Amino acid sequence: MSTQSLPRSIERLVEDCDRIIEEPGFAPAVAWKRAAPNRATIGCFPVYTPTEVFYASGVLPVGLAGGGNRMEIAHADSRFQSFICSIVKSTLEQGMTGLLDDLDAVVFHSICDPARNLASVYTRNFPETPVEYIHFPQNFEGEDAARYLRDEYERVARFAGELSGRPMTTEDLRSAIKLYNRVRETIRRLYALRRDAPHLLRARELYPLVRVGHLIPPEDHAELLADALHAAATREGRERDRIRVVLTGSFCEQPPLDLIAAIEDAGCYLVDDDFLIGRRWFTGNVPENTADPLLTLADDYLNASLPSPVKHDMRISPSELLVERARTHRADAVIVLCAKFCEPSLFAYPLYRKALQEAGIPHLFLEFEEKMWMFDRIKSEIETFVESLLFD
Amino acid sequence: MKYAAGIDVGSTQTKCIIIDENKQIVARALTDTGANITRAGERGYEAVLAAGGIAREDVLCVVGTGYGRFKVSFGDLQITEITCHAKGASMLFPETSTVIDMGGQDAKGISVQNGEVVDFVMNDKCAAGTGRFLSTAAETLGLALDEIGALSLQARNPVRLSTVCTVFVESDIMSYVAQGKKIEDILGGIHSAIAARTIALVRRVGLKPSYTFTGGVSLNIGMVKMLEEKLGAPLNVSPDSHYMGAIGAAVFALEHALSATTAS
Amino acid sequence: MTETHYQGKLHHLQKELMSEYYSALTASANGSGVPAAYLLIGGNPVELLRAFDILPVFPEVNALQLAVRKQSLPFIQSAEFMGYSSDNCAYVKADIGMYFGGRQTPFATIPEPSLLLCNYVGCNVYLDWFGHLAEFTGQSAFQLDIPFIRSASGKPSKEDIDYVLRQLHHLIGRCEEITGRKLNEEKLREAVRLSSLTGDLWSKIKHLTKRTPAPYDAYFDSVTMMAPLYCLRGTPQGLEFFETAYAELLAKAEAGIGPLEKERFRYVIEGPPPWPHLRAFRDMFSRWDAVAVASTYSTVGGLWEFGFTHDPDRPLESIARHLLEWNLTNRNFLQRYEQIERYLEEWNANALIIHSVKSCRLFSAGQGDMREYFTKRGVPTLLVESDLEDPRYFSEAQMRNRIDAFFESIAHRPTREGVKV
Repeated sequence: MSTQSLPRSIERLVEDCDRIIEEPGFAPAVAWKRAAPNRATIGCFPVYTPTEVFYASGVLPVGLAGGGNRMEIAHADSRFQSFICSIVKSTLEQGMTGLLDDLDAVVFHSICDPARNLASVYTRNFPETPVEYIHFPQNFEGEDAARYLRDEYERVARFAGELSGRPMTTEDLRSAIKLYNRVRETIRRLYALRRDAPHLLRARELYPLVRVGHLIPPEDHAELLADALHAAATREGRERDRIRVVLTGSFCEQPPLDLIAAIEDAGCYLVDDDFLIGRRWFTGNVPENTADPLLTLADDYLNASLPSPVKHDMRISPSELLVERARTHRADAVIVLCAKFCEPSLFAYPLYRKALQEAGIPHLFLEFEEKMWMFDRIKSEIETFVESLLFD
Repeated sequence: MKYAAGIDVGSTQTKCIIIDENKQIVARALTDTGANITRAGERGYEAVLAAGGIAREDVLCVVGTGYGRFKVSFGDLQITEITCHAKGASMLFPETSTVIDMGGQDAKGISVQNGEVVDFVMNDKCAAGTGRFLSTAAETLGLALDEIGALSLQARNPVRLSTVCTVFVESDIMSYVAQGKKIEDILGGIHSAIAARTIALVRRVGLKPSYTFTGGVSLNIGMVKMLEEKLGAPLNVSPDSHYMGAIGAAVFALEHALSATTAS
Repeated sequence: MTETHYQGKLHHLQKELMSEYYSALTASANGSGVPAAYLLIGGNPVELLRAFDILPVFPEVNALQLAVRKQSLPFIQSAEFMGYSSDNCAYVKADIGMYFGGRQTPFATIPEPSLLLCNYVGCNVYLDWFGHLAEFTGQSAFQLDIPFIRSASGKPSKEDIDYVLRQLHHLIGRCEEITGRKLNEEKLREAVRLSSLTGDLWSKIKHLTKRTPAPYDAYFDSVTMMAPLYCLRGTPQGLEFFETAYAELLAKAEAGIGPLEKERFRYVIEGPPPWPHLRAFRDMFSRWDAVAVASTYSTVGGLWEFGFTHDPDRPLESIARHLLEWNLTNRNFLQRYEQIERYLEEWNANALIIHSVKSCRLFSAGQGDMREYFTKRGVPTLLVESDLEDPRYFSEAQMRNRIDAFFESIAHRPTREGVKV
């Protein structure tokens, strides 16, 4: 993808990513599809999508991330009430205004009740569009769930194969796992770099580097990320007097980029976050070259994944994990940034609050909407919070 | 000559109308509802009788409407203001297919056929799209409510509002003022946002011309123009739009009285 | 315009049985030695618990009992004080508040759970609810994961059924640990047999409202019968209740007696009721001589009126099918449109009321689309909003305005069948 002979700087890479993200439509995905036969594209509603299963079947899993703050919702809000989160409405609006026409299909997952009902509303309103729905297990004890999820992935692979016209082979899947492992591993390295030297990589920069992966083929993303890792590691910068913050909660509807920048400008180094966690999901590489890669993926979904409020693993205490996370990242504070009306994240909060208070970790609870675009209020809240910690 | 009366007891104002046998409006009265809703209907009725110089005995039938309709104890019937708005709008503008009502406290969309309600939608839970939003905005800018409409028409670069929530509009406006935005542009943005929200609301019952615009906000020329622009169609607006519910109620009263006469 | 209440045997029997049930809960809380399992209503395997003599506790039923007695608000507020959002489901808040209030309610002391049976049947909030209870009680939850109906056929797949059966076997193992006894297969079959007969009667009762006049209100009176359906299903008392209920309602049907003096409008209603304002809400319809002939809410815990019945010869398979397919919550949103359409058609209704509740997004998210769908098909449809548990979201004046305007508008309209109401 990089045609220049000189490696791109972080600034340049981020600029390129911003441009791709801001452009309406899905030009890179369409170009990828046209480049070879037996290819299709599918829009993936948050949070986690088994990207390998789709890609191995010849279907590019394009990430849907809502309408952002440039889109007016004029039709979809008659279908979903005011107490429903924006991303459900903006996604429907995107469909209604033709913005998703480039995509051959859409897939939803069992993350919450509104998303689940959205799958049905979408199906009814777009009868020509194939719509798939994945039920992720909510039982983490023993082997039953992994077996079930493996079968579910097999079903999804059949669906994907019908879209592209070419069924998936086991070898295809193994290759796809290797490829997405590379992508995720590089992202982990970038996150680690930021954790250890946050002055070398701002959240506002890391975000588009990850987000662009929603829109371009994984091979291109892997290359871009490798360039970014190199560029970041050789960057120069000075540490500033900021507080180290772990930011949790924004795993589905995404805050505007300017809000992420505003949080940093208010005096924070974001040393960890939940942004786009669906594309990162696993704690390490998914084992490669296994006999049954579908089962491997299913097992890792359940047992080797990052904590998330949409995955109700009752073997663990999510709030204890948050406290641990704050400690391993040497965080001065935690910001819980929830999308307005986001049921899973709002439910997580009371437990987080209790645990953080008991652990003596200062925290701030904030709500946002993807369609925000004035941040004065929220910025001054954060500034006040930062000041209270810096001048303690 | 015999008459019929419509009494619309709203949360802040009471509107009363008397029509004659030929459905001509012969008297109007606008009074404050005040704290005592039961008295509000009576006071309004007295006022409208006086305004028309009409004796009580000459009124065949009285219909109460509005939130306080059940307190119009002297009324013969109580009908919701939704149904009355449809009736009133159709009397003044017979081609009415859609009523857009923006009042002080709520906003409604009504699809109408032959003067009757086919479907309706209401925004009565929140102030966005109501007179209250506009009066908050006017207050923040230090302007009178009846000034802002005309001013908004002078906008060259209307601002984009980040919210239609009355609670937050104040701080958004102040941000824009601090940024040096022109008052006209701020007002243009406000009217645009409210119009868009209202149209999204009314879309739920279908956007079908001819459109009749009723309620206190229909006196705001800025909103009229903005809605017309976004709908791509003209709006029917009457100087009596404030009284639309009472007019409809009076028409129902007359029809009720006449059908009773023919029945007996 | 006035309505007649049948306050016959049915009503008193319900009170008596529920009082006994709640006494058993209190006894368990006070150390009677009977273990208690918390579980959720939507598609529940209560038969299995009955086979082990484990007392089923339904936090949803407790929450609604609090709301009906207008005592939910202080508990909701104490949960909000802990950090629960105003946008979180108020059932959960009332329950958590009650838990931290010493598990004391006016009708019972709720026992601590020996088993937290989290039956995930569609409602994602269940998972948060029981995850939190696990954290607070120190009890580890048993997650019974029921795959959502997501096929075009509206049926579960073979893999779905096998997965549920495997989990049910594990659940049996867990119950054996708790009680120290092996599963008694006979007892299970008996519980399923009783459940099956109960379900049949419930179905027959539902079909009675096809008649004109409907002998009871399928929304406001159904809710009286729902508590025994969950709390007592699989027991002889539960069966006795439904036998009595059916006999009484059948007699009313044959005598042409209904809850209203005159039946003018027949409607289908979608959504949970505003429990804290049940009486006021009911009056808004009965003043128009309107009766509910079918309700979707009464099928959250099981949908029996379309032919499903538990099978004592295949107890676990039929329990699995009930959990997967034959309850409202695990069925998808479009299946609910189909369910409503069937009610409109077969129960001869001429309007649809959608009561959209803020707390329950499983029910409410997307009801605007439902409204659009039915309006386009010529069904007079009204959407009103409030909440199922939190008394603060009910605006009587606004609600009445909408309902009155709605009935005013259809009073002059021909119905779908071409018959003027």
